[in-house]
Formats: sequence, C-alpha cells, structure tokens
Amino acid sequence: MRKALVIVTTVLLVAFVLQFVFAAVGAFTRPAGDGAYALHSVTGMAVIPALTLLTTLFAVLAKAPGRLIGLAILPLGLVVVQGLIAMLANASTDAAGASTPFGLTIAGLHALNGIIAVHVVVSVHQAARKLAHPVPADTTPVTVREGEPA
Amino acid sequence: MTVGSLLAADLVIAVLAAAGWLGGGAASAARRRPLARGLAAVALLATVVRAITITALARAGWWFAAEKVLIAAPLSLAAVLVAGPRLLRTPGDPRSVAVPLLFAGYANSAALLVTVLHGYPASAGAGLLAVAGVVTATAVSWRALNARPSRAVSRAALVVAVAALVTGTGLAATPAAAPAVPHDHEYREARTVGEPTRRFTLTAGTATVSVSGRDVAAWAFNGQVPGPELTATVGDVLEVTLRNRDIARGVTLHWHGYDVPNSQDGVPGVTQAAVLPGQEFVYRFRADQAGTYWYHTHAVSDVGVRKGLYGVLVVRPAPVTGVDVTVPVHTLSGLPLPAPRTEPVEAGTPVRLRLVNTDSTTHRYALAGAPFQVAAIDGSDLQGPTSLVDTAVLIPAGGRYDLVFTAPATPVALFVDGRAVYSTGPVATATGAWPVLDPLTYGAASPAPWSRFDREFTLVLDRGLDLHGLLPRYAHTVNGAADPDIPPQVVRPGDIVRFTIVNRSLVVHPWHLHGHHVLVLSRNGEPATGSPLWLDSFDVRPGDVWVVAFRADNPGMWANHCHNLAHADAGMTLHLMYS
Ligand SMILES: [Cu+2]
Repeated sequence: MRKALVIVTTVLLVAFVLQFVFAAVGAFTRPAGDGAYALHSVTGMAVIPALTLLTTLFAVLAKAPGRLIGLAILPLGLVVVQGLIAMLANASTDAAGASTPFGLTIAGLHALNGIIAVHVVVSVHQAARKLAHPVPADTTPVTVREGEPA
Repeated sequence: MTVGSLLAADLVIAVLAAAGWLGGGAASAARRRPLARGLAAVALLATVVRAITITALARAGWWFAAEKVLIAAPLSLAAVLVAGPRLLRTPGDPRSVAVPLLFAGYANSAALLVTVLHGYPASAGAGLLAVAGVVTATAVSWRALNARPSRAVSRAALVVAVAALVTGTGLAATPAAAPAVPHDHEYREARTVGEPTRRFTLTAGTATVSVSGRDVAAWAFNGQVPGPELTATVGDVLEVTLRNRDIARGVTLHWHGYDVPNSQDGVPGVTQAAVLPGQEFVYRFRADQAGTYWYHTHAVSDVGVRKGLYGVLVVRPAPVTGVDVTVPVHTLSGLPLPAPRTEPVEAGTPVRLRLVNTDSTTHRYALAGAPFQVAAIDGSDLQGPTSLVDTAVLIPAGGRYDLVFTAPATPVALFVDGRAVYSTGPVATATGAWPVLDPLTYGAASPAPWSRFDREFTLVLDRGLDLHGLLPRYAHTVNGAADPDIPPQVVRPGDIVRFTIVNRSLVVHPWHLHGHHVLVLSRNGEPATGSPLWLDSFDVRPGDVWVVAFRADNPGMWANHCHNLAHADAGMTLHLMYS
C-alpha cells in the first residue's frame, strides 16, 4: 500500500508538471480563444482533483501519519481556490473585454498558487517515499537489521 | 459598488473565511496555538464582512443572495457557534480545538461550493448534500486526529450524513420537467413571399485569407472574410442560395436581427437541418425592415463564426446618398478585422458608419473629429438623437450602431478599441478616457406602447455543474439548467411578453432573442428614459437586471441565447415557442 502511495503521488506530480505545460500551451496558442486552455481546465478541474482524492485515500489506507494525510488533501483546496482565481481574473476585464491591471494581478496569484500547490505535492511525494523506504538513522545502527522488510 | 463587484467581493471573502477556518484547524492540529487563533480571527472577521455583502446582495435582488441566505448563512452561523466558544477557552492541548475549527472550515467550504456549482435556484438538495459533506469530513477528521468521538456521537454523525446524502441526492436527481423542445421535427415550409428581386449565392468552404499580411486558415463564404455584403432596398424579396463545399460539420444562415419567418431563421435542428457538404438550402424572405444587420452560420456557431462564416446585410429605405460605410469588426485568428481604410470625404457630405460587432465580446468604438449622432441601434432608428462629441459607444456581441455625421473640412477617424479602422485623414486623438454613451438615457422618450403584460419570464444567468450530459461539465446556465434541459418559454400569438434577465455570474452575457426585437423597459431598477430601444443584442453585465418586453407576433420555435457563442455552446441556449 505504501508502494501504491508512492506511485500515485508520482502520477500526481507528473499531472502537475503537465498542468504547467498545458498552461503554456494555452498562453501560446493562436488564435487565443476560450478553447486554448481546454487541456489546462480539464486537467485542473477533473484529473488533478481525482488524483488528489486517490492520494489521500491511499495515504489513509497506508496508515500514513495525520500530517501526511492533511498534506495530501491540501492540493484539493488549493485547486478549488485556483479555479476561483481563474474565474475572477477572467471576470476582471473592462467593459470592452480587455484585461485590467487588477485582473492581471489576480492572474498572477493564479500562477503563485499553482507554484505553492506543486511544492505541497513534492512534499507529499517525498514523505510517501520516506514512508515506503524508511531511511535508517546513521547514529543508531542497532535499528538496522539484515533481512527485515522495510 | 456595483452588484457585479459585490458578487466578486463576496466570493473572495467566502474563500477567506473557509481558508481561515481550515488553516486554523490545521494549525491547531499541529499544536501551533497562536497561528490557529490568528487564522480563526481572520475567518471570524471575514464572516462578519460577509454578512454585510450578503445583505447588500439580497437588497439588490433575491436572485443574487438566495442560496447565500438559505444555505451559506446557516452554515457560517453553525461554524461560528461551534468554533467560537472553543477558541475563547484556554485548555491544555491546543489540538482539542482542531476538530471544531475544521468543522467550521468544512461548513464554509461546502457553502462556497454550493454557490459556485449550483447557486441558483437555491435547492434543498444542494443544501442537504452540503450538510452530508460537512458531517462526513468532520467525522473523518475526528478519527484521523485520533481524538475518537464517543460512540453516540459517531452514530449520530453517521445517521445525519447518510440521511442528508440520500435525501439530497434524491432531490438533486429528481428529473426536472422534461423539456418539450421538439428538435428534429418536420421543418415547416417557407411562406411564399413572391418573386425574388435580389438573388445571391453564398458558398461556404475552407479557405486561406490574408489578414494584415499574414495567411490565415479560415472558413469563408465565397472565399472571403467577411462574406459578401448583401444589400437590398425595403420591399425587395431576397433569395439567398447557401451551398456547402467542404465544411464537414455543416452550415446554415441566420439573419441576425432580421425578424424573418421561422422557417428562414437558420437554426439547425430547430428550423432546418444543417446544410452538409454538397448540399444546398434556399432562403427567401421579404426585406421589410430597413437597417444594419448581419448573417452568420448557426451550425457549430462558436467555431464557425469565429473562423469567418459571417457577413453584413444592409437594407436601405432608399438609394444611398452621401457616404455609407459598413464596419464589421471581427477577430480572426487573433488578428483584428477589417483592415484600416482611409478615404477623403468632401466637407458637407453626410456620412453613415454602420458599426457591426461580429465577435463574441463587447467592443468599444470612438469617433473622433466631428460631432455625431447615433441614428439607429440594432437596425431600429432612434427617436430624437442628440449630437455627441468625445463620447465612445460600447457595442455588445452581435449588436449594431449606426453613427451619422456631416463631414467637416478636417479629418475624422473611427477607433475600435483604440485602433483606427476608418478615417478621412490623419487623426491623432487619445479616445481611451472618453465617457461611454448609455443608450437608455439617449434621445427622446415616448410613452410605452403597452401597459399590461400577458406573460412574464425570468432568466437567471449563472454557471453551474451540469451532470445531464455524457460527461459532467461546468456549464453556463439559465435558471440552474443548461441546454438541452432548459424548459422552453411558451407564449400565445399576440401575447405581450415581459422578461427579466438577471446575471448572477462574473462574466458579461450578450443576450439575443431570435425572431423578435425587445423593447427595453428598465435596467437595474432604473426605467429607460431615452428613445425607445428595440434591441436584438444587449449586454447583461455581472449583477445586471434587465427588464424587456416584446409582442409575440412571429410564430414558430425561436432560439433565445447568449451571443457569446462559446457560452451558448456551453449550455446558455433555450427556446421560445408558440402554443
Ligand atoms: Cu454568455
């Protein structure tokens, strides 16, 4: 189960990396229509939330410590906030539909929040790996015994 | 503060409240007492501010606040009542307040999700699902934090969660009134309108067109974007043959703003079948309304119009005198159309600029160098238009304004979003700071033609989760439903119909009713005091409430939709039908 947790956090991390790629795809697609960000929105609104829930589920099943479970569910909240920020940024245009400085500031928060979410996922991934392969402490060699499964 | 910005502010504050409670819960679970208290204080403050925003929204209209008053307010109150007193006590272990704080966070998050996913109409189903989510999440957190609740509490939580989940799901999944829009019915025959006096052929096909020196892949009528300008004089009978060369997804012609008989309206699946490659369809109608209109495909309309399947239709009351220019503004592959044009005009010549917005978003037009009048909007002449200087006009998606002026000896230029599009010579004027004309207060009023209304409809525009399709989608909704699940509006011939359009969302919805022009009665509670405005396209901004009316005098089945065509594709389309 701990192996499965590592795998699903790896997949989640990959999804996050792809999410940044899709954002760039949206930004550089010509013509720039609403469809340019289709991949980005599907990943953000469906794939990542599903993987986050799966990660949390595996963390619970793997009897991970509460801190890791909390950390695993956190991206879900950040992703919801992420969607709201995107909505607000899109809404903050002037009457003719052009971006306003306020809207662009909010769009900046969208990027910032995305970076925070990635950091959280990296921490979850590292914690999951630690859980799967506990690193023996050098100063207490007695705890390392040959042949004991991790 | 406008209702639109109030809606946005309320959303931000709701997020702050939820994040404050959740963060406080996490902090106290990590035994960080001061941080937990600080975050909880933020949440409390946000809750107090939110009471103000919700009250203000309720005063602006119940539509804006219903679910906030009925679902968010009780949940927020429960959050404060459960978490507040625990915070004030100072027991030994800071972890003991983690569960109450997390409960408060879940309650606020659930209320927020209700607003975002299914805010209108406020439903018991959504409320119960929110309660089920809150109870479940709280129970799970309780166990995860190893502070096991007593058996009685656990059982009670389980019972409440299951009951709320079952009832909520039951209520939410109850099939709505089956929509009675008979799609794919037999299309009615065209009325005979006499022998055509103006004949055109439009052939739709893929094409490469040149825009500001760049080759752009487009869909075009007769190989050009925009398509040929169709002109007629009042009394003409138009016959337009539409052929499809290679647009695989089909094409039609919709006469935007022209109140043609239903069979000629060009809405695929409603008034005709889409014209597939190799097929043709002949439109025939009498040109009895003078003014500026346009035509476009209504089959896969979002992609089709964006890629270039549109053109101008101008019906003149008499032969042209003076200079008469059409300016159809469009964005093709991110490049603005039309190309800038300069032509000298002799002083004293009457000039008419027919401004058309064929995009899905609003454009800003500014005429510099001469006083002008807005002679017509959406093809209908205005009454008593006054002279304007240094004033911009905002034209909604699909809308048209006719500006008229007498050419002065000095140059004149028309700017669209700051770009000079038509000029009679070099003009360097910054128009960005000009005030914008409000058509509701422009021109001379006349008494309303009707004092009673036979039918009333309200359309509340929002976003919401739509689970009725093959895949769930975050749709643009009308009264909480998305196409094809929005019940049609049914009227009888001769009815005077009043309809109210409310925008609860954070984006502009340019509303467009086919087959009829609506008379604007009021916007945001303020009656229209200018010239009677007979519109077919009008921007309902976030927080706006428009009240308009029309006479049901054109029987058939009519599309009634948002003309931001991406929104229409994403569910914001319904139908008006005659009984
Ligand atoms: Cu819309």
